[in-house]
Amino acid sequence: MSPLFFYLFAAILIFASLAVVLARNPLYNVLSLVVAIFSLSCLFVLLEAFFVGMVLLLIYAGAVLVFFLFVVMCLNLNAIPLPNALQNRFRCLGTVAGLMFLSSVFLALKSFLKAQTMEPSSLRGTIESISKILFTDYLLPFELTSLLLLIAIFGIVSLAQGTLSTGKNIENP
Amino acid sequence: MITLEAYLILSGIIFSVGLAGVITSRSVLKVLLSLELLLAASNLSFVAFSKFNGDYTGQLVVFFIILVAAAEVAIGLAIIVLMYRQLSTIQSDELRTMKW
Repeated sequence: MSPLFFYLFAAILIFASLAVVLARNPLYNVLSLVVAIFSLSCLFVLLEAFFVGMVLLLIYAGAVLVFFLFVVMCLNLNAIPLPNALQNRFRCLGTVAGLMFLSSVFLALKSFLKAQTMEPSSLRGTIESISKILFTDYLLPFELTSLLLLIAIFGIVSLAQGTLSTGKNIENP
Repeated sequence: MITLEAYLILSGIIFSVGLAGVITSRSVLKVLLSLELLLAASNLSFVAFSKFNGDYTGQLVVFFIILVAAAEVAIGLAIIVLMYRQLSTIQSDELRTMKW
């Protein structure tokens, strides 16, 4: 729980997530999200949630973002110049919404955390302690997620076949 | 000593950046990436609350969020690939027709 590591990884996380939103090249967006997820899992380790941090690193940075990268390279994307007025309108709207949300977070935290100061517990999220709960209290949701993944596989396969439900070929509608 | 407040502020900052990204970006791929940022921010606050409350449930919720996000990303990317095949662009405002 060294504060130095927290500030280091927090700074990396903030800059990487800014790069996700601001970078022009889609490849850089995906790669900076990899950096963000990596520093997030370092923060999880600082919070002693070892199992979740490991899963985040394996599934997110290992599988999901590589999948993103694969799609970006597959699609051969070019930057499209936008009409300037439209672009500015979108950018102002999004920035204002983000700042409003940020200020509401600060206000909520001010009212929430003045009343109580919480101390970190001695909780250690190792595989043993997590799986003890996962396979007793949360067994049904855990099994249901396997069903969810199965349905996702069905969806992807039926989408990737390239035919719509009407039997029309999607290549030449 | 890092307090709970620091983690929550960090999570709020990441969430705001992701929210601004969802609204501003017009490429569908970037919207999906910003959605991942929103999920990451909520994951961080779940784990921080779990640590400071002394309860494992928050970490389990994060585990389930990761599973659901994997399914969501797979389906979303499949839709993006289909959209690119159909329209040869992934700009979201090119999606004007609902039925053809």
